[in-house]
Amino acid sequence: MSISLSHLTKRYGPHTVVDDVSVEIASGSLTAVLGPSGSGKSTLLKLIGGLETLDGGRVVIEGDDVTHVDPRHRDIGFCFQHYAPFRHMTVAKNVAFGLKVRKRPKDEIKRKVDDLLELVKLEHKAESYPAQLSGGERQRMALARALAIQPRVLLLDEPFGALDAMVRTELRHWVKELHREIRVTTILVTHDQDEAMEVADQLLIMHKGRIEQTGSPTDLYQRPSTPFVHEFLGPTTVFKGEVVRPHDLALLAPGHGVIDGTVASITDLGFEVQVTVLLSDGSTPWVQLSRNEFDRLRLQVESPVSMRERDRRLETGSALTRATQLRR
Amino acid sequence: MASYLSIIVLLPIAALVARGLSIGVATHGWGAAFWHWRVHVDLGAFWSAVTQPAAISAIRLSLWLSLCVAAINAVMGVAIAWVLVRDRFFGKWAIEALIDLPFALPTIVVGVVLLSLYGMASPLGINLFETWMGLMVALLFVTLPFSVRAVQPVLASLDGEAEAAATSLGAGGLRTFVSVVLPSLWPAVLGGFGLAFARAVGEFGSISLIAGGLGRTTTASAYIYSLTQGFLWTSAAAVSTALLLVSLVILVFSNVLARRVQRRLAP
Repeated sequence: MSISLSHLTKRYGPHTVVDDVSVEIASGSLTAVLGPSGSGKSTLLKLIGGLETLDGGRVVIEGDDVTHVDPRHRDIGFCFQHYAPFRHMTVAKNVAFGLKVRKRPKDEIKRKVDDLLELVKLEHKAESYPAQLSGGERQRMALARALAIQPRVLLLDEPFGALDAMVRTELRHWVKELHREIRVTTILVTHDQDEAMEVADQLLIMHKGRIEQTGSPTDLYQRPSTPFVHEFLGPTTVFKGEVVRPHDLALLAPGHGVIDGTVASITDLGFEVQVTVLLSDGSTPWVQLSRNEFDRLRLQVESPVSMRERDRRLETGSALTRATQLRR
Repeated sequence: MASYLSIIVLLPIAALVARGLSIGVATHGWGAAFWHWRVHVDLGAFWSAVTQPAAISAIRLSLWLSLCVAAINAVMGVAIAWVLVRDRFFGKWAIEALIDLPFALPTIVVGVVLLSLYGMASPLGINLFETWMGLMVALLFVTLPFSVRAVQPVLASLDGEAEAAATSLGAGGLRTFVSVVLPSLWPAVLGGFGLAFARAVGEFGSISLIAGGLGRTTTASAYIYSLTQGFLWTSAAAVSTALLLVSLVILVFSNVLARRVQRRLAP
């Protein structure tokens, strides 16, 4: 285990922001700490980096107890939400900062900075100032700066939070690629579940300063252990008094499902269609249909329909059989 | 706004410069239209007034005192602003109010207070009467708010992320301050320096008492005052003009420098 946190606690006055958190994070993994704002996820990251003082607990990195080690001797690369560039330094000087502090020889610093700038694709911006960079470029500079000290752990606080949608997606893929390449144990904090599920191989869901659940994205999505995780990791709707995922509901011809109703509204998102149904018990669950399914059903508002829960095992099973048949 | 500025600021300065350089306007021939005007400047009178040994030593004293005072308060201003922004302690609001006191006090009151504290009958046993140290203490007092208030808002606007980044990269407190915090403060420090300097050059009330009547503690402003007492209006205006030019140069210089640094920092 690369990072081992035991009983971490942090209080601000009467508020316990991080409440007795214990977790093990595997070496070389990319873990996303996911939670709503105010859940304590950023504070947890700062506790690991030593940028906040602990009120209790222990932080062990690669077997070394760093609980009482000054943040500057922890060998941790930290990327901040707003990139925290040194504005008066060029990109190259920003990246070189950690190496200069460590008093490395000049030619070694130069070589390393060149390599890192190539890695983050900023070779052409070496002599620019942070003010002249786009948001995505600033984030990449911050990453290169953090990686320069060859950290044992890379901590990213809302790394894509301040970017627009296009750049976000691009940078997400890029970070995933980068992690595959350099394999440094990475923890990133985010409030965006899509982002977390896409980038990370491990998720850590936080709620009110506590860890709700940990596991792989697929695990957590399919087997949420608490209602909070269930609701936080994807859309939910209520069918016959139970919380279910809207894509786990199926629409059929009247009389063929468990309960009948009429279509109340249709929201067409192009790649998916959301259909809200008024059931005979008075409830109004919504169903997530693929484009194909929706076209096949030829639904309109007021259409009579019937609803039931999909049997996920059976359907994935039959889909698999179909796929194997096709391949043959 | 332009006319307000003209009447309040530019007109008196123009009058001063006109008097100082002995600029006169006369018409020649019969016409009174402006192309008949002849402007004559008596630079000779200006030059002889500002090159009087007493004038030179007074201007020199004012300039080096003001530069020292502005420099010392630039350092102290950053330190005090740092404590006010970053630290929490009992009675902070009182210190906040105290900083502005030199703004509010009539300068002659400051003069009286300093004379009773550091005069010949000093209760502290420190006699700064008729010394440049006395002048400096007075100038440090009246210019302190400029230095503190220039830096304080800029320091408050730093979110601390860059400092935390420097720490995580292994930099110690001093290193972080010098290479990360200070560079973002430079424009404000320079601005405060320029204002404090200009104020110190022009200060009269607070130093008039502790300076006494010796030649070696006569600042430019005191010298000008003594000239007016002898009805030497043209000489007074000439020395004033020289002082005005020097202050202008320093103000413009610190502003240009501050703006050059600022441009690089702009997001």
